[in-house]
Amino acid sequence: MTLTPSSHGLYRSVVTSSRATPLSACDDGVLARAVSGASGEDASDAETELYRRFAPRVRLFGLKHLSDRAAADDLAQQVMLVVITRLRTGEVREPDQIGSFVLGTSRMMVAGKKRGERRRAAIFARFDAHEEAVDPANDLALDGSRLAPCLAALRERERTILLLTYYADKSAPEIAAAMGMTSGAVRIGRHRALASMRDCIETRRAS
Amino acid sequence: MTATRTPCPSFGELADYWTSDITPDEAEQIETHVFDCERCARMLAEADRLRVGIRDLARSGNVQAFVNDAVLNRLARDGVRVRSYALDPGETVRCAVWADDDVIVARLRADFTGVESVDAEMRFDTGEEWAQATDVPVRKGETELVLALPAGLVRNAPTVPMRLTLRHSAGSSGERILAQYVFHHEGALERP
Repeated sequence: MTLTPSSHGLYRSVVTSSRATPLSACDDGVLARAVSGASGEDASDAETELYRRFAPRVRLFGLKHLSDRAAADDLAQQVMLVVITRLRTGEVREPDQIGSFVLGTSRMMVAGKKRGERRRAAIFARFDAHEEAVDPANDLALDGSRLAPCLAALRERERTILLLTYYADKSAPEIAAAMGMTSGAVRIGRHRALASMRDCIETRRAS
Repeated sequence: MTATRTPCPSFGELADYWTSDITPDEAEQIETHVFDCERCARMLAEADRLRVGIRDLARSGNVQAFVNDAVLNRLARDGVRVRSYALDPGETVRCAVWADDDVIVARLRADFTGVESVDAEMRFDTGEEWAQATDVPVRKGETELVLALPAGLVRNAPTVPMRLTLRHSAGSSGERILAQYVFHHEGALERP
C-alpha cells in the first residue's frame, strides 16, 4: 500500500468534522494510516489511541513470554515506541494490518530479550552472581475479599482444578492423573469454573 | 485491505493461554487474534487478573479446599505455615490453632476402594453443621484425602468437638458412611 496525503486527510476529516467519528470508534487501520507519514504533533491523538489499544496487548504478550510484570511493562513501552516511530517515518507498509505489525514487533523484541537474558544468565553463572527476583505489585489484581466467596462457591472438584492449575502450576494431564479424571474433563471443568467465577464476580460487583 | 479475523475464542480458551496446557501453535493463534480484537484482548487481561487473584488467594492460605501434595509443597515453598493432623477412621484428635498458623490441614485416611467421589460434612457436637463439601474426587488407589482450611476460620470456631463424616455417594443405592473423625478443638493458642 502506498502512503498518500489522502490517507492522512482521511484521519483529519474524521477527527475535525463537527460530525466526527470519535477516535475510539475508528478502526485500527484508520488510526495507523493517520499516524503514518504524519508529524508527531499532527497525529498525537491517533498515536495516543493506538497506544491505549495496543500497549495492554503487548503487555499481556510479554507476561506470557517473559513471565515478569516489570519486563512486560518495559516491553509494551519499547514495542509501542518502535511501532509509532516506524509509522511516522512511513516504514510500515500496510498500516491496515497494524495488529500484525505490533505482534511481529513484539515477537522480535521478546526473542531479543530472551537471547540477552541467556547471555546475562551465563555471565551471572560464570561469576556466581545472585539476583533477587522482583515481582512488583499487580495494581490490577482482583480484590481477594471479592474473589474468596466466588472460589468458595465452586464445586469441590472445580476449585481443586483451579488451585492445581494456577497455584501449583500443574498441567491438565498432571491434574487428571492426580484427580482420576481425563485431561479433557480437567479442561472442561476449568472452563466451567472460570465462567462461574466471572459470573459471580460480576454479580457481586453489580450488587 | 482487511484481513479476515478468526472467530473470537471463548473465555475458557483465552484463559488456557495462561496455563502450561497450551501448545505454541494455539498460543500463536490466540496472539494473532488478540492483536486484532480489542474485546478479546480485554478478556485475556481479565483471565490474567483471575489467575493472579486465585494464586494470591491460595498463597494467603485463605482457601478451603481438598488439595494434594502439589498444593502443600507449593504452600511450603511460599513460606505459608501449615499445621497438619492425620487421622484414621474413627480416630479422635485433640487439635488447636497457634497464632502463627496460616493453614490447618486434615489428612483423612480411609479405605476408598471402589469410591470415585465422596461428600463430606463437619458438624459440631450440638448437631449444627459447620462445613460441607460434595463430589470430592477420589483417585483410584487413594488412601487419604487432604482437607485444607484457613487457620483464621478454625481459630474462630467454637471450642467444642467437631465430627467430620465422609460419605460415598453411591447413586440409587443411597449414601454410605466411609469414615468419621472427631476433632476436639481446643481453640486458638499462643506460645508463652
